[in-house]
Amino acid sequence: MPKKVKKERAHGGRALGKLAGMGKEIVEDIEKAQPPKLKIPSRSTSNIIYDEAHRYFVLGPRYGVRSAASMKQVKKFAQLLCTADFAKELIENGKFATLREMYYTAEGWDTGPFHGQGESDLMVEDLEATFGLKREDLGLVPEEDGAAVYGRLVVKEGDAVIDATKAGRGGYTIPPTIDDVEFLKCKAKRVIAIETMGMYHRFVQEQAWKKFDALVVGLKGQAARATRRFLRRANEELGLPVYLFTDGDPFGFHIGMVVISGSAKLAYINHELAVPDAKYIGVTASDIVNYKLPTDKLRELDIARLKQLQKDPRYNTEFWQSEIKKMLELGKKAEQQAFAKYGLAYVVKEYLPAKLKEVEGQEFLGKR
Amino acid sequence: MKTVADELFKEFREHSVSEFFRKNAAMLGYTGKIRSLTTIVHEGVTNSIDASEEMGVLPKVYVAIKRVNEEPEHFRVVFEDNASGIPDQYISNVFGKMLAGTKLHRHMQQRGQQGIGVSGAVMFSQITSGKPATVTTSTGNGEVTQMDLMIDVDKNEGKIVRSEKRKGKWRGTRVELEVKDTTYMRSRYGPFNYLRMTAIANPHVHITFVEPDGKLTVFENATDKIPERPKSMPLHPWGIMSDDLLTLARHTKGRTVVSFLSTELSRVSRKKADEVCRLAGVPLNKKPLELTWEEAEHIVSAFKQVRLLAPPTSGLRPIGTADVENGLRQILNPEFVCAISRPPKVYRGGLPFLVEVGMAYGGNAGKAAEEKVENGEGEVEAGMELIRFANRAPLIFDQGGCAITYAMRNIDWRRYGVDPATAPLSLFVNISSAYVPYTSAGKQSIADEPEILNETRTAIMEAARELRKFLFRKIRLKERQDRAGVFEEYLPVIARRAASLAGLREPDIKPLLKKVAGVENAEES
Repeated sequence: MPKKVKKERAHGGRALGKLAGMGKEIVEDIEKAQPPKLKIPSRSTSNIIYDEAHRYFVLGPRYGVRSAASMKQVKKFAQLLCTADFAKELIENGKFATLREMYYTAEGWDTGPFHGQGESDLMVEDLEATFGLKREDLGLVPEEDGAAVYGRLVVKEGDAVIDATKAGRGGYTIPPTIDDVEFLKCKAKRVIAIETMGMYHRFVQEQAWKKFDALVVGLKGQAARATRRFLRRANEELGLPVYLFTDGDPFGFHIGMVVISGSAKLAYINHELAVPDAKYIGVTASDIVNYKLPTDKLRELDIARLKQLQKDPRYNTEFWQSEIKKMLELGKKAEQQAFAKYGLAYVVKEYLPAKLKEVEGQEFLGKR
Repeated sequence: MKTVADELFKEFREHSVSEFFRKNAAMLGYTGKIRSLTTIVHEGVTNSIDASEEMGVLPKVYVAIKRVNEEPEHFRVVFEDNASGIPDQYISNVFGKMLAGTKLHRHMQQRGQQGIGVSGAVMFSQITSGKPATVTTSTGNGEVTQMDLMIDVDKNEGKIVRSEKRKGKWRGTRVELEVKDTTYMRSRYGPFNYLRMTAIANPHVHITFVEPDGKLTVFENATDKIPERPKSMPLHPWGIMSDDLLTLARHTKGRTVVSFLSTELSRVSRKKADEVCRLAGVPLNKKPLELTWEEAEHIVSAFKQVRLLAPPTSGLRPIGTADVENGLRQILNPEFVCAISRPPKVYRGGLPFLVEVGMAYGGNAGKAAEEKVENGEGEVEAGMELIRFANRAPLIFDQGGCAITYAMRNIDWRRYGVDPATAPLSLFVNISSAYVPYTSAGKQSIADEPEILNETRTAIMEAARELRKFLFRKIRLKERQDRAGVFEEYLPVIARRAASLAGLREPDIKPLLKKVAGVENAEES
């Protein structure tokens, strides 16, 4: 069931304004006996463009017109308005609903139920793209929680004030409604986002958060929207640099890249999610060589994926091109945990300081 | 002194036609428990209708099938008609002697043909139940005759077992037969469907049917007009062969080839006969008896080079498009009917035939409707139904081997907007001819003579074009209605939700609805 949240939502006002504006235009059209139309940015692959300046994918200029005078579109038009009206109610009441809940709520709408959640999710995407707002701004949240964060950060979530160093060993869990979370206090100076939860827990145990004044974030593989939004806010609101530490293989690279540049699928909302200044620190192909890490052979799938990445505009930098090339030449890949070869603490005691020195030009070894 | 041949001939005669039938009942339609019953109903009803028509009264036929002693395969079948009745002295011949009809070898189109007909039914009943047939008849002279009769299998003649007379004001004939080893079912092959088809093809016939469970069905006649009687007619040169020509030449009264051709053949004037003889290089004054095989062949091919009128249709008795439509409409209550009657054509030996096609769409048409009358018995079928007729008589069995079926299968139905697997369509095909080329004495399927096949196919396609027009109109109409419905459903939702979003009063949707329910203007930019 929708969760009650007392605090006024950050973007709630903006969303309500846009929804009201859409409603007003339609009412006026109807009064003039003109078929209402909606311009919805096209999300087809041909309209997804890599924005070199912002360094993430954005939607191109094409849009589709959904007309209430079209027999094929009028139902979808009505469903979109029902979705919008549902969102308005959620925002006004300060509630959240999951996409699944919305799908079931639609059973009671005057347009009848959707044929599947895929259909109702599309409605939400239409609204997001039309308004340039995230679904969270519309009171709709994904099912899954974001990942965990550990470090010197105090947040306010509703009435609860949470210290991310006192939320248990697992850290503070980033909620889907991360936009409603207020950052009260932050003593950290950087964010280190880690692909695997195994390495995350290693970082927590070795007190890396303390040693490096860092917020340690576990991504749990491909980062959820809430996690990406958290990283974006940490970068934007708290002014913290974000570092990415993943497995040394094409899939690890891409987990990092999606945080940096956003995904093509969410091109319409990347301006709220991407962290273009985030830096990828490893595991790189060079690390495999320099640290003599235990490796696995690249599978065919890995090679194919690496070749894809070579052509991807997001990887069109000297750093990435040379790392991808090197990995292809090596024919090897390595996991984050491979550093355990030199002892469990090695990655925190040796590898991380060296990497941070590389990107920040500071010495970290002395700090306790 | 008797020759060997005399002995043989004597032997031969002792195998009577009835005896032959008894041994070959299957060939004549008495095969299978359902089919036997249907064949009996067919023979009785055919006889009744032909008799009424011959007399010029609207046929009113009553058919009842009753269970005897609650036994599952034992029935009493009753037919009654309102025709002329039968004079006493002919009764035993009509019902007890095979090939005794008045129809054989007349180039005239009638339902029955070989004259095995009703006496075969009597034979079947006698073989299975051992009981005689009861015939009650009156010519309307105030006397009613009732006879029990059996067939003397050896002599091929009727044997009267019991006979009585009583006074009574009634005219017609009632036949009661007791049969065993038969099953009653409401399937496609059962008597119910047979009578339904008969009613469709004979809209002037009124049929009352009582089923074993007592259920009464009346197929009302859709017209009061009795079809014209067919006439006997001469052969037409278009389909004639050398052999036919020489046979005719042997019996003609004409003294010269020219007079022979112009008197014995249809649509051949003296002038045409003259022209043909010249083309064939046959002396005009030659005696017909002296014609050689080669000359006959030349004449046959010469006929193909001269212009002739089409064969006369006077001997043909088509149902007529109006009555095909009446019949289909009355029995199937469809959304759409159409009928096509093609001009007469000839096949093989100059024998004219005529194809009529009707189509009924929607309502009770199609196989699904047949399923409805089956009350859940039999297979669950849907889609297009083919109902075949020869001279208005239903052809129910042997559908797979019939020229009509080949013609239907030869058509790409999707071109006409019809999916044969689902369309609620009854396709009616009637072939009228003085001599229908049946594939067997069971008279259930028509041989695939190329002319008949082609002509049937052409006729079906002609009707299918009409159907296509209707279907497309229907689709367009439905689209328009759907369109209006869609907007009526969703535009108010849009208005209400938009007003809620904007916090405004709900706008009046009517002007927009009126404007939009006929315009399509959506584009992708």
